[in-house]
Amino acid sequence: MSEKEATVVNRAGMHTRPAAMVVQMAAKYKSEIYLIRDGFLINAKSIIGVMTLTAERGCRLIVRAEGPDEDNAVKSIAELIDSGFGEAI
Amino acid sequence: MIRKTIQYSKKIPEQALDGIPSSPGLAFGRAFIISPDNIIIPDEKIDESRIQEELNRFHGALHDLEAELNFILSRVSFESYNVQTIIQADLLIVKDDIFNNTVKNTILSGYSSESAIIKEFDKQKSFFNLTDDRTLRERAAEIDHIKERLLSFLRKRNIYYPVDEQSVVVAQSLTPADLVHFREAGIKGIITEVGGITSHASILARSFEIPAVIGVTNATEMIEHDSPLIIDGYYGKIFCNPKQKTIIEYQLRKSKEDLHRTELRDLVKLASKTIDGREIKLYANIDFMEDIETSIQVASEGIGLVRTENMIINLKHYPNEEEQYNWYCELADRIYPASVTIRVFDIGSDKYSEGILHHENNPALGLRGIRFLLSRPDIFETQIRAILRASRNKNIKMMIPMITHKSEADRAIQLIEKNKKELKAKHISFDEDISVGLMIETPAAALIADKLANIASFFSIGTNDLAQYTLAADRTNEMVSDIYNPLHPSVLQLIKLSVEAAQKYHLPVSICGELAGHAGATALLVGLGVDELSVSPSILLELKHRIRSINYKDSVRIAQAALQCTSYDEVRELLNIKN
Repeated sequence: MSEKEATVVNRAGMHTRPAAMVVQMAAKYKSEIYLIRDGFLINAKSIIGVMTLTAERGCRLIVRAEGPDEDNAVKSIAELIDSGFGEAI
Repeated sequence: MIRKTIQYSKKIPEQALDGIPSSPGLAFGRAFIISPDNIIIPDEKIDESRIQEELNRFHGALHDLEAELNFILSRVSFESYNVQTIIQADLLIVKDDIFNNTVKNTILSGYSSESAIIKEFDKQKSFFNLTDDRTLRERAAEIDHIKERLLSFLRKRNIYYPVDEQSVVVAQSLTPADLVHFREAGIKGIITEVGGITSHASILARSFEIPAVIGVTNATEMIEHDSPLIIDGYYGKIFCNPKQKTIIEYQLRKSKEDLHRTELRDLVKLASKTIDGREIKLYANIDFMEDIETSIQVASEGIGLVRTENMIINLKHYPNEEEQYNWYCELADRIYPASVTIRVFDIGSDKYSEGILHHENNPALGLRGIRFLLSRPDIFETQIRAILRASRNKNIKMMIPMITHKSEADRAIQLIEKNKKELKAKHISFDEDISVGLMIETPAAALIADKLANIASFFSIGTNDLAQYTLAADRTNEMVSDIYNPLHPSVLQLIKLSVEAAQKYHLPVSICGELAGHAGATALLVGLGVDELSVSPSILLELKHRIRSINYKDSVRIAQAALQCTSYDEVRELLNIKN
């Protein structure tokens, strides 16, 4: 299992478009990937899950993965979140 | 489904309701209310035997929604980046297998598709209180749109109602698919709030011989679920909680009706000729294979109209060549040596069109009938091949709907000829002289009937659509139902033109619309020179009975007088039709 903390930095938070980016990124990996917020765990490959996490700016999330490519998965998704999805910060 | 059980007691007063009679017959039963409120039951448990069907419905709804979103996406320009992103995100939601699996598991645990979708979507909402960010919460609430769309697609996919052989279904409106299911359940009668007498649901009710009364205002609210009912499909009357006197009166009428039906059976052996000897050939319209039995029983000349689009309703996809071939062969073989007239897919308008996203503002004036088929030669040629191959015993005729331009008929015939050549090259046997008839159902076709007669083997006048297009009145729209009337003098003039053109070229003319079975119109149609009438098998013998009681020479005079009328009311008065 691999874990890394990430912070939502873009102003609009993890709305529809960022959520779709996370899911599309997660789909590239074989590992099971989760996002954890305040103890709530959702599957990062489910857009409904990611959207309903309603992660606003400043929200801290734990990215967790289990599987053959868990390290890469955690690294790239955490980076994506930390980067602000290319949106205004 | 929530059922309120009403104890029948003499204290509940009888309540009489009126509507439009749309399918003849008398029946006693119990009200089964389908109101918009109880369509969706958040906690509906289902039987194990229904699980597979529910899973199919859920997958079907996902498929429909995905098709709709892809269609919208294809219509959104590249500039509207935001819209594209939203639709793409919606598509991701539809394809969210992790979520869809939770819905599937809920269905597997014994819930209906509707319940499972509502349960699983609502669970997702529990996360919403994690944030105070209103915009984000609203965005997340967008998944509710997806839920609503899925539920609405499920609704189109034939909701399963636990009706039984005692039920009189009371609904706002019904789809053809509902009726097919109800017939299988053996229901007693149908009452709807809306729907025209020529709507497809009414036509099906008649062909299934299920008594129906339509246009009963607020029926779903006025009638209590499970209350005892008498329904009179001859006069459009309904009695809720009937008193003893009414029950006895109707039992008497019912036994008379049954007797009349037996009497009609004697007509089977008699010829369909007027008193002075003019023969009118009678054919049966059928929608389903089972109708063949009734058609053979009433000894019709054959099948005058097979609506092949019903295959699409049943199969929920376009039937492939083999599926069609087998179906057409079965029809042709079972009716042999009589003939069967197969109308190629008439898709569009108010008819069911699975998976085709027309999104036309005005489907009745849009891509339907031959227009659609010529735009999809793959579908059309598949059907042509299947019909040709099934014609090997020379008892199949082909009919082309919705002609407005002669060029459409020319192109259709070219395609038929092309496929004949190909079959010949492969040494596959078929009827090389197969009759190809044209439907006259637009004013345009009637007005150029002499040009069309030159290339057709027969004409079939579709009076439902002909009246709708001539009078510019939607035949399913209650609000213009007084304007829509196939007996309007304008429609009669167009029928006259078509018959004259056909006579010039010695073509037979048939009428296959609802007018053919109209009790008051028989003499008029015979007098106009129509050779063949095609009606639902349930009313064929009554029609024969009427033909045998009229005089051809008198009917010609009636027709001439009707053509001189200036309004529908005058025609009605002339024909002695009560409104």
